[in-house]
Amino acid sequence: MQKNLPHICPSCASTLKVKSLVCERCTTEVTGIFSLPLLASLTQQEQDFITDFVVSSGSLKIMAQKLGLSYPTVRNLLDDIIQKIEANQKNNKTTSK
Amino acid sequence: MKKWLFNPFIYIAGAKALIIGWAFMLVAAVIGYFSMTHFDGVIDVHIGHISPMWTYITETAIDWALPAIIFYIAGLIFSNSSIRAVDVAGTLALARWVMVFPALIGFGVHMPPAAPATIDEVMKILTPSVIVFGLLTMLFSIWMIALMYNAYTTSCNLKGSKAILSFIGGLLVAEVLSKLIIGLIF
Repeated sequence: MQKNLPHICPSCASTLKVKSLVCERCTTEVTGIFSLPLLASLTQQEQDFITDFVVSSGSLKIMAQKLGLSYPTVRNLLDDIIQKIEANQKNNKTTSK
Repeated sequence: MKKWLFNPFIYIAGAKALIIGWAFMLVAAVIGYFSMTHFDGVIDVHIGHISPMWTYITETAIDWALPAIIFYIAGLIFSNSSIRAVDVAGTLALARWVMVFPALIGFGVHMPPAAPATIDEVMKILTPSVIVFGLLTMLFSIWMIALMYNAYTTSCNLKGSKAILSFIGGLLVAEVLSKLIIGLIF
């Protein structure tokens, strides 16, 4: 089962931070307050889209062929992700102030 | 299946949609010539008078070109995406494929060449076949409008009230202009 990385607090809906990191091999644990990378706030599907987009050298035409979708549909998906990233960036800036 | 019927533009757009759409438009115009079914407005279907073949083809071309130009301009104004003219033109051409059906249904209807002038004349031509034609044509026109809306929103990446209002406005302008231009030409 693939687990999704939670990034929103289920209690107050604020952005979650990473408190500890652990080495699987020697169980060394690092604790602190670390921000999640911006892309982690996207859904798995959106992250897969970005990975495919990079692998396709940023070509929407190749992406459209791979996904079996039309060019504007793929461009719309990308535009929606860009909008979401921009909103998250804005949100992060206001919360860090 | 529902997506293919109402929003095939998720899968087909651009030049491919344009060529398929043009082919269907030509087929509808040729069938319309034989069944005397005119597409004398962006969302109009009328039956009755005989005209040369080029009339049917020109009417269909105007019905496609006007919304394509108007919705492309609307897309440039209202959309934040970098839209392509070929997507707007292609998806709107493909949206007209359903007009093949009213052209075919036109074979089953017989109308007098001259438009009725009095209520009595209207009542005389109001046969069951004319009523069925009217209802079916309305159904196909609604289907085409739904396709045109999806063509516009997909090719211009518009959503919500911005998409609905600009579509209604654009369609009204296109309909009025098409009636005027077709009226002037023929």
